Amino acid sequence: MKRFIALMTVLAVICAMFAACGSSGSPSDAPAGDSQAGQTPASQDESAPANRPITVTFGSHQSGLPVSGIEQELAKEFEELTGMSIDFQVTPDAQWRDLLNVKLNAGEAYDIMNVDADPLSIISRINPEQNCVDLSGEGWLSRIDPVVLPGVTVNDKVYGIQFAGTRKSMIVYNKQIFSDLGLAPPTTYDEWKQVCQAILDSGITPIYEATQNGWHQVLPLFETGSHYVTLYDDLYGRLNRNEMNVLEVKEIGIILGQMKEFAELGFFGDYFMSQSVEGAQEALATNQAAMFNIDTGWVNELETEFPHTFDNFGIFAAPWADNQTISVNTTCNAFFISKDSNYVNEIKEYFNFLASPENLKKRLEGDPSQESLCWPEVESRAKPEFQAYFNSLPHGMVMQVGTSYIDPQWMDVGKDIDAMYAGMMTPDEVFQNIANRRDEMARLQRDPAWQ
Amino acid sequence: MNKNKTYPSYLAFGTVAIYFVFLFLPGVLGIFYSFTDWNSFHPEVNFVGLSNYQRIIAPNQKYMDYISNTVIFTIATTLAKSALGILLALLLTHKLVLGKALHRMAIFTPLVMSYLVVGLVFKSLLHPATGFVNIALRSVRLDFLANNWLSDASLALGTVISVDTWKGVGYIMVVTIAGLKSISATYYEAAEIDGANYWQRFLHITLPLIWPVLLTITILNLTYGLRVFDIIYALTNGGPGHATDVINTAVFSAFSKGDYAMGTTLSTVLFVFVMAISYFLVKMMENKGEEL
Repeated sequence: MKRFIALMTVLAVICAMFAACGSSGSPSDAPAGDSQAGQTPASQDESAPANRPITVTFGSHQSGLPVSGIEQELAKEFEELTGMSIDFQVTPDAQWRDLLNVKLNAGEAYDIMNVDADPLSIISRINPEQNCVDLSGEGWLSRIDPVVLPGVTVNDKVYGIQFAGTRKSMIVYNKQIFSDLGLAPPTTYDEWKQVCQAILDSGITPIYEATQNGWHQVLPLFETGSHYVTLYDDLYGRLNRNEMNVLEVKEIGIILGQMKEFAELGFFGDYFMSQSVEGAQEALATNQAAMFNIDTGWVNELETEFPHTFDNFGIFAAPWADNQTISVNTTCNAFFISKDSNYVNEIKEYFNFLASPENLKKRLEGDPSQESLCWPEVESRAKPEFQAYFNSLPHGMVMQVGTSYIDPQWMDVGKDIDAMYAGMMTPDEVFQNIANRRDEMARLQRDPAWQ
Repeated sequence: MNKNKTYPSYLAFGTVAIYFVFLFLPGVLGIFYSFTDWNSFHPEVNFVGLSNYQRIIAPNQKYMDYISNTVIFTIATTLAKSALGILLALLLTHKLVLGKALHRMAIFTPLVMSYLVVGLVFKSLLHPATGFVNIALRSVRLDFLANNWLSDASLALGTVISVDTWKGVGYIMVVTIAGLKSISATYYEAAEIDGANYWQRFLHITLPLIWPVLLTITILNLTYGLRVFDIIYALTNGGPGHATDVINTAVFSAFSKGDYAMGTTLSTVLFVFVMAISYFLVKMMENKGEEL
């Protein structure tokens, strides 16, 4: 009898343990303030009442949230109205994409995910049909600029909400330093090299480069896409149909060589391998560096943080490989709701709050780095001087938005460029790796164009 | 009924079942998936033979570099932690050293700090322009020693090894102190009467008697070193370039790209390494134990 009782007890313990492991728990039981609340896969609680103290997790990368803190301010206002608080969980840029994918693959996604949204990479990055809530029925869709919708749409269903407007990556330069040294904005690579040498000779670092974030060093390669399309007919289409290899775009290889040359000439300074984008403002505001490759909205942010720099910064198109075009990036970070979230209705309500006209206006006013929003009802505040420069040059789409398997390997290319700067890889090897990764990703995704 | 058995064998069923379902089965499945094309983009899984293993050794891939970095990291941290740990243990059990408890606590403290915190703190300390280390070196006119500790490809792995040694040496020290304390003082007294000096006492009494402890810490260090991820992820994220990438950062990267098959293949390689090394060390420990 004793033996039987002992055996039954053992079996009962095993059953209880397996049952506990399989339990999904009740979503409404999740305590307020529990930052893991959204990470428990559970059925959606569509009938959850509003105005109750809940906490939803908001996963983002460092540069995905405005430095000004406007995103958190708006979240705070929403919390005051509804009781729902947003737990912002910020990850360094260099680790964000890998971390998000690991979380998605492990079924532990954040309730809200702040993800770079572009039409060609959206599936490999977040696979919305599998992981996100369909937002096609939301009222704000009729007001957002349709040009950004392909970045958040899969099979005619919209999965994300975006706020930032189109971006143009340019070289921001210190007018005073240029004027003091009698320099003019360069239009060719050779001119640029001479300008940099003159600045270096004056004791100032010519260009602030930031490799620590992992993405900044890649800008010259793919945000010169508008230049490539002027040289090759139907470039993006042919690359996407695999009728052309990316290695045939010789200018990418040329730019890699030029970047390496700039680094070796000391144009990026001594410590660029340890610098981050966040340090650029101080470096340029205090004349430690003269130029920086960044989105033009960054100048507004700089002027807000360092008012003495007002009107002291101009822009020019980066003359890598003699480029004289402007690449426009229509994609940006967008917010997606996890399918596993327990608070889908509440988050939809939050998105409605963010998309209200007064909050859109507040967002633009509260984020100096933005020149415009992708909401036509909110007036752009681009500087007239910059606008005139934009209008003077031909425009085109950045390569990562037009070409498949470029954006998903962005951070890997960043690591390869680091290796190139560190002398561990040649520019040719970096270039070859870009082509290899495209082939590998196409094979993995069984792209018909690669069969 | 076998009277030698203290408990009936069915009491082990629960443990065996849990071990089988949660440890053994996933491990075997992981090895199985390394022979497939399992990925996040397609639900079906096809058998692809050894092609994932061929990718690891392909000349255009960097996986062999990652394996090499893992081995270098493991050997270097094992040697450094063991040597320093034993040295500190000997020092902090010596009768002439004052404030032993305070010293032990100070050396042990880094172990309880999170890797993320250690990563952030050391990134700041080792920044080439604004970091404490270089500023301190420059202030005492040792400018030539100021380096790009984490962003120079030739130094980064050494720096990571140093930081990891700093963090882990306290544990080795504590375990070794426990071993030293278990040695009876009578052996040393007898040796002293026979005229043995400190070095002879260490070589012929201390070392043989703490040998099982040394083997245990070596196994712990080796298995930790081969599986290292956190400290590298927090300090360099595998950079600059791929200079500090190890097997587990490559596994993380493969999983994040949806290439599950490659992730499991690399994990299998790691599993074989850890199993082989652990097996030989345990065997060695058993043999040594029998000799003693």
